Amino acid sequence: MLVASVLVVGLFASRSAAPHGPPSAASSPSSKAFRLESIQGVALPEPILPAFVPSTPILLPVSDRPARWALVRVAVPARSEPRSDSHIVATVAKRTPEGTSNIVLVLGRKTDKTGRLWIHVRLPVLPNNLTAWVPRSALGGYGAVRTHLVVDLERLTATLYRNRRQIFRADIGGGQDAWPTPKGHFYIRNKLTGYSSPTYGPLAFGTSARSDVLTDWPAGGYIGIHGTDRPELLPGRVSHGCIRLRNADILRLAQLMPVGTPLTIR
Amino acid sequence: MQRPSSNTPGLTLEQLDQDGAIQEGISELYGSTRADFLRKAVLGGGALIAALSVPPEVKAAAASDVRIFQFGLNFEYLQSSFYTETDRLGTIDAMAPRKAHWARTLGAHERAHVAIIKKVLGPAAGKRPFFNFRGNTETEDRFTRTAVAMEDLTTALLTGLTPKLQDQGLAAAAFSLMTVEARHAAWARHLVGVVPVASAFDEPKSLDRVDRIVAGTRFISTLRPRTTTSGDPRFTG
Repeated sequence: MLVASVLVVGLFASRSAAPHGPPSAASSPSSKAFRLESIQGVALPEPILPAFVPSTPILLPVSDRPARWALVRVAVPARSEPRSDSHIVATVAKRTPEGTSNIVLVLGRKTDKTGRLWIHVRLPVLPNNLTAWVPRSALGGYGAVRTHLVVDLERLTATLYRNRRQIFRADIGGGQDAWPTPKGHFYIRNKLTGYSSPTYGPLAFGTSARSDVLTDWPAGGYIGIHGTDRPELLPGRVSHGCIRLRNADILRLAQLMPVGTPLTIR
Repeated sequence: MQRPSSNTPGLTLEQLDQDGAIQEGISELYGSTRADFLRKAVLGGGALIAALSVPPEVKAAAASDVRIFQFGLNFEYLQSSFYTETDRLGTIDAMAPRKAHWARTLGAHERAHVAIIKKVLGPAAGKRPFFNFRGNTETEDRFTRTAVAMEDLTTALLTGLTPKLQDQGLAAAAFSLMTVEARHAAWARHLVGVVPVASAFDEPKSLDRVDRIVAGTRFISTLRPRTTTSGDPRFTG
C-alpha cells in the first residue's frame, strides 16, 4: 500500500510539474523523485510501528502425542471392525451411571470404503480390555491428557506419570481374593466430589474397569479409585475390587490427574 | 495440460457442510447457543472491558479495538487448535514432506498469533473454547480442504476488520498478521493445485458473515463434557 501511495503521489506530482510536456526527469523511476523519504520535496510519513510482534513460531516436538479421549454424544453400537456391517460387540451409552458425560479412550482411526471415518476406542464394558470401532460422528470433540496412572497390585502402589516422568506415588488397597481388582488397560472417566458417604473418602474417580465377579452390583460394578475411612488397612488387599488411597493421597492425586487419563492395572 | 481451477468446490467452509465432511448437528447436545459463540464472546467481552484492568498495550485502545481483537483471538484459537490437533493425532506424519512442512509451519504461526493476542488482551482475553473438528483433523483430504477454507476466510476477515481499528499501532500489527494469513492462504491453495490468488481483489467479509460461516461448521461448542459430579459413588468399594 505504501508503494502504491508513492506511485500515486509521484504520478500526481509529475503531472503537476509538466502536464503537457515530455516526461520530465522527475517521472523517471531512477530519479530522486521516487525515493521513499520525499517526492519533489514533499516529505512522506514514516511507517507506523506495529503495537506488537509475535514471538518466533515453534514447531511441536515430534514426541508430543498426548492420549486422546472423546465424548460419546449419542448412544452408539460399537463394532468389531471399522465398517457398518461388522459384528456389534457392545452399545456405548451417552451417560455414565453417575450421570456424567460418557467418554471413551481413542486408540486409532480408519476410513472405510465408503469414506466413513471410524474411531478405534477402548470401551467401559465387560469383558474388560474390550476395544471396538465407532463412527466418528457419534463422538464429540477430543480431550488430550499427558498423564498415565499405573496400579501395581503386587506392590500395592499407584504411580502417576506425566510425559513419562513419575509425579505421584502412594500405597493402595486392592481387591480381596474373592473380589479381585481386574487387570488390564482402562481409563479414568469421571470424578465425584462433595458426596456424603465416608466409605469413599472425600473424592472418587470412576474408571472404565468393571468387577468380573460383582456383575450384579448396583450401577454395574464399576471399579473406583477413592479415599477411605479405614486408612489403617492400607496397603492391603481389603476392597471389593476398588482401589483405595489414603484421603490425603486421593486429594493430591486429584490435583494431578485429569479425567481421560489412561489407567494400567497390573 | 489442465489449467488449475480458481474456484474448486469444497474449498470453503460453507461448502464443507454440504459435501458431508461435516456430519449431522450436535445441537441436541450442546444447545442452540453454540452457533453464536463468537458473537457472544465479543459482546460479553465488550461489556466487561470497562471493569477490567487491561495491560498498557490496550489500555489506550478504544473498546471497539479490544472487541475486534477478542474476536480475532477466538478465530486464532480455532486455527491453532485445528493445526495442533492434526499434528498431535499424527495426520501430518502421513503427508508428503513438502505438505507436512506447510501444515506444521502454519500450526506454529497460529500458536504464535494466539500467544501474542492473549498477551495484548491480558485479562480481557477469553478462554480457549472446546472444539469438535468432526473428523476434519483426522484425514489428509479433510484437513487440507478445511485448512484452505480457513486460511481464505481468515484473510477475508482481517481485510474487513483491520481498517476498523482505531489505534494505528494495533492496525499496523493487524496488517502484519493479515499479510501472513494471506500468504498462508496462497501457500495452501498452491499445494492443492488451485490458483493461489483467485482474483485481483480480496473481498472483505463482515464479522457477522464470518460468525455465521464459523457457526455453520459446528467446530465450536460452548459446553464442555461434564465429567465431574457430586452424586454418591456406587463403585464396588
